[in-house]
Amino acid sequence: MRGTAALFKRGNPREPVPFQEILPLKLKQRVSGKGDNTSDVCCIYEMSVLFACFKTHDFHQAPCSKEIDAFQKCYLNHLEKTKLKKEREARGILSPGEKKLSSRQINILLDKFPNFK
Amino acid sequence: MAAIRTFVKNCQIINRNCAVLSPHVQKHGMSQYPSYYIEPVHKKEIQEDLIKSGEIQKLAHLPTKAARNDQSSSFRQDDLVNLFINYVMRNGEKVLARGLVEKAFENIKRIQLEKYHKCDDVEKKAKIELAPRVIFHQAVENCKPILALTPIKRGGVRYQVPVPITPKRSQFLSMKWLIEAAKEKDATMRFHYQLALELIDAANNKGRVVKRKQDLHKQCEANRAYAHYRWS
Repeated sequence: MRGTAALFKRGNPREPVPFQEILPLKLKQRVSGKGDNTSDVCCIYEMSVLFACFKTHDFHQAPCSKEIDAFQKCYLNHLEKTKLKKEREARGILSPGEKKLSSRQINILLDKFPNFK
Repeated sequence: MAAIRTFVKNCQIINRNCAVLSPHVQKHGMSQYPSYYIEPVHKKEIQEDLIKSGEIQKLAHLPTKAARNDQSSSFRQDDLVNLFINYVMRNGEKVLARGLVEKAFENIKRIQLEKYHKCDDVEKKAKIELAPRVIFHQAVENCKPILALTPIKRGGVRYQVPVPITPKRSQFLSMKWLIEAAKEKDATMRFHYQLALELIDAANNKGRVVKRKQDLHKQCEANRAYAHYRWS
C-alpha cells in the first residue's frame, strides 16, 4: 500500500520520458589503469609434473633433478619476462602489430590519435 | 703517491661525466658512494680470471668502492658463511655470532674426526667428509626448498597456495631453518654444538631441517589444486 501511495504523490511519469544529457555523450581521451592487474600464475604445468615426480619418489629430490631444473628455469624465465614487459610499458614503447596493449600504451595511442570531438 | 695520482685521475673522469651522471646520482639514494663507483673484486681467483681475459684494463682506472671488512682475499673468506653469520646475529652482536659459527665449525671438525678415527672400514673412512665448510655448503644446499606456501584470500577464505620461490629466498629459508633447528634444543646443550649436529645431519640429507623441507613440499602437493589461485 505504501508503494502505491508514494507513486501517487510523485505523479505518474510522462511517457515518453524526456532525455537529459547529464554527461557528454562521448568517450574520454584516456583509459584508467585499473584493469592492468593481470594474474601472476605461471609454470602450472611444470609444477604438476614436479608434484607427480615427488609423489612417485616419496619426496626425494635426487631422482627429480630434471623436473626441478625445468620448474626453476620456467619461474626465472617468467620473472625476467615480466620485468622486461614492465620496463617496456613504463617507457611506453610501442611495437607494431602488438595485440595485447597495456593501459599506458593505449593512452599513448589515444594521445596521438584522439577520438572525434 | 700512486693513490693520489689515481684519485686525481678519477676526479677528472667524474668532472667530465658530470652532466651524464646527475640523474644516476639522484637515483642512488642513501649510499655513501655515487652510483658510478664499482664494486671491488676481492676474490683472488676472480682477479686472476680478469687478468687472463684482459678485462682488468677496463676496471683499473674506474672509481672503486673500498672493500668491506668481511671481504678479503684470504682463503678462509667465504661469502655464504659471512651471510650465515649475519643471519645468526641478534642485536648487532657480530663478534658473538661469528664466535658461535666458528665454534660450530670446530665442533663439526671434532665430530667428524672422531667418526673418522673410530671407523675401521677403509672404504667408509675415505667417504667421511672432514672439511666443515664443505659440510656447511652441502647442508645449505640440501635444505633449500623449491616451493613455498602463501596465504591468498578468495571469497573470504584464506587458501594456502603453493608458489615458486626465487633462489635467494630459498637460500634464506634454508639458512633460517638451520638456525631455528639449532635453537630448538635442551637447556643444557650449547647452540654451537646443536648447530654442528644439525649441519652434519643436513649434509647427509637427513635430520629435522631436511624433514621440514619435505613436509613443506608435501603440504604444497596437498594444496596443488589451489595453484591457479595465485594473484599479485
